Amino acid sequence: MIKSLLYVFLLSVSTGVFAANITIKNANNDPLPNAVVWLTAGDPSSVIPPEAPYAMTQQNREFKPRILVVPQNAKVEFPNADSIMHHVYSFSKAKTFELKLYKEHPKAPITFDQTGVVELGCNIHDWMLGYIVVVDSTIFAITDEAGKVDLTAMAGEYTLSVWHSGFGDISNVESEVVSVSSKPLTYKIKQTITEQIDFATDEFDDY
Amino acid sequence: MTINNLLKLTFLSCIVLFSNTLSAQVRGLLQVRAVQGDDILSWQEGGVGLYRHDSKSDELILSQGILDFNIDLASNWSAHGVLNLNQAPDVGLGFTQAYVKYQPLSNSNYKWHVRVGGFYPLMSLENPDIGWTSPYNYTNSAINSWIGEELRTVGAEVTIKRSAKRFNSAHSFSFVGATFKGNDPAGTLLAWRGFALHDRQTTFNEGVKFAPVASLNEYALRWQANQVLPFEEVDGRFGYYAGVHWDYLKKSQFRIYYYNNNGDPTKLNISSGQYAWDTRFTSAAWLYKFNNKTRFIAQVLNGKTEMGDNKLIDNAFYSHYLMLSHKEGKNRVSLRYDYFEVTDNDITPYDPNTSHGEGVTATWRYNINKKVQVGVEASALKSFAENRAAIGFNQRTSQQQVMINAQWRF
Repeated sequence: MIKSLLYVFLLSVSTGVFAANITIKNANNDPLPNAVVWLTAGDPSSVIPPEAPYAMTQQNREFKPRILVVPQNAKVEFPNADSIMHHVYSFSKAKTFELKLYKEHPKAPITFDQTGVVELGCNIHDWMLGYIVVVDSTIFAITDEAGKVDLTAMAGEYTLSVWHSGFGDISNVESEVVSVSSKPLTYKIKQTITEQIDFATDEFDDY
Repeated sequence: MTINNLLKLTFLSCIVLFSNTLSAQVRGLLQVRAVQGDDILSWQEGGVGLYRHDSKSDELILSQGILDFNIDLASNWSAHGVLNLNQAPDVGLGFTQAYVKYQPLSNSNYKWHVRVGGFYPLMSLENPDIGWTSPYNYTNSAINSWIGEELRTVGAEVTIKRSAKRFNSAHSFSFVGATFKGNDPAGTLLAWRGFALHDRQTTFNEGVKFAPVASLNEYALRWQANQVLPFEEVDGRFGYYAGVHWDYLKKSQFRIYYYNNNGDPTKLNISSGQYAWDTRFTSAAWLYKFNNKTRFIAQVLNGKTEMGDNKLIDNAFYSHYLMLSHKEGKNRVSLRYDYFEVTDNDITPYDPNTSHGEGVTATWRYNINKKVQVGVEASALKSFAENRAAIGFNQRTSQQQVMINAQWRF
């Protein structure tokens, strides 16, 4: 943590660091919340994930967060906050795994060494749906209700990539080369976004 | 304590001891209650009362002692069991459910799983809590009181699910089919006692008593015992059931089942005094959430049962309930209305089976914390049973019951 703070501090005192303000819009020009946005530049091998693992929690029979973005080679743990078992799995190309998870018996974290979108399900609670988006970057964020992210980056040329869980093919990431400066950026999604359905679940629904 | 009970205790201790090393989960519920019961003796004590309790139970009672375990045998295999400790009518320990589940992990849009062993068909929406208990009323509906005491299958069940999420659809469907042995005497209690209102599930090793109805002294019924062993196999035939679950956003949940134990009514086990009853019925259950606090649950059961040569006993049975439940913070209030009836369609003059009744049950539960809950319940019912007259009781009775409950989960 101290190391990364120092890193940010050093970057800020050096010239040309911007909080790139990016807005993502859908095909109808409406702001798009919950889109994953990341910037990549140069050598992806320079992406060093943090030592501490990220967490994809299961709470009240939902994944929390629903979407987790991590840099390539990051470790993710899967704590179960519910009193019942979850059987979390993925058949995605970027990572195939399964974990039977109990609150009392946490399992070792999993390293996500391939970039791509990992779709998570639970074999017991089939409405549970979560995503881990593994990116070759440490500059990433998820858009807010106004479709906005603020990404701290040095001025220069980057590839801006955008992903949304409503993409018809969830592996179909959109990207474009952008120039980061003090000017706000707007990116318009080319694909149509399918609305995600929310399920009104409670503790008695797995019966 | 019998050897059987000792064996079970040993098995149980092993599960608890090894649950940390095995991938297993053991959960439990202990519930005690104080009851202001009715004067009419409960069917459990050989009376004609339709509640589990009567004025003899005016003391602290262990109403539920449940241990529910779930053991991972392999990635796709798990073992499940529910062990119940009961205080009345006799102290006993027994399983109400014990089965193995095979649920393969697959990337297909259709998921499937198999259960093999002894379990409940999942046709009701009233009992989703630990060990098939209800989180709503303490006293189950007439339908689920009957299912809890006389219905349990020992067999194999296959479920194929078309999950909503996989199709990004609001609707999900499950298709269930099962075949089983045992459960031949199901229907006995409906004929001679009628429906009742209680939360006493029968364990696999138990029998259920009923009042000494006069017709059992008749020559044609001389082999019938004054109790039912509901899970016994009598005729050697397989029974079956099939069901469909339809969920809309989990907001509306609908289940319809057809059950047929395919009993051969002419078959009888003389040593245990149990007949095979040809019992078949349809059950439809619906749960609707108005919001995340208030829900409505209803169920309808309609069927027929037949026993003995030449339709010695031929009955139709019907019941429904309507329930409204509201949760507000740590409180849950549930109100239920039950209607039930048995219609005698045979011409056996000495064995009248007609009965009917209705009941209202109101329950308030308060969660002190995640583990401890207290609650009160008041209920009233009135009932009619034709066969009560021949053993010196009024055919029509009304009963009331008030209880205070405290429970602890672990």
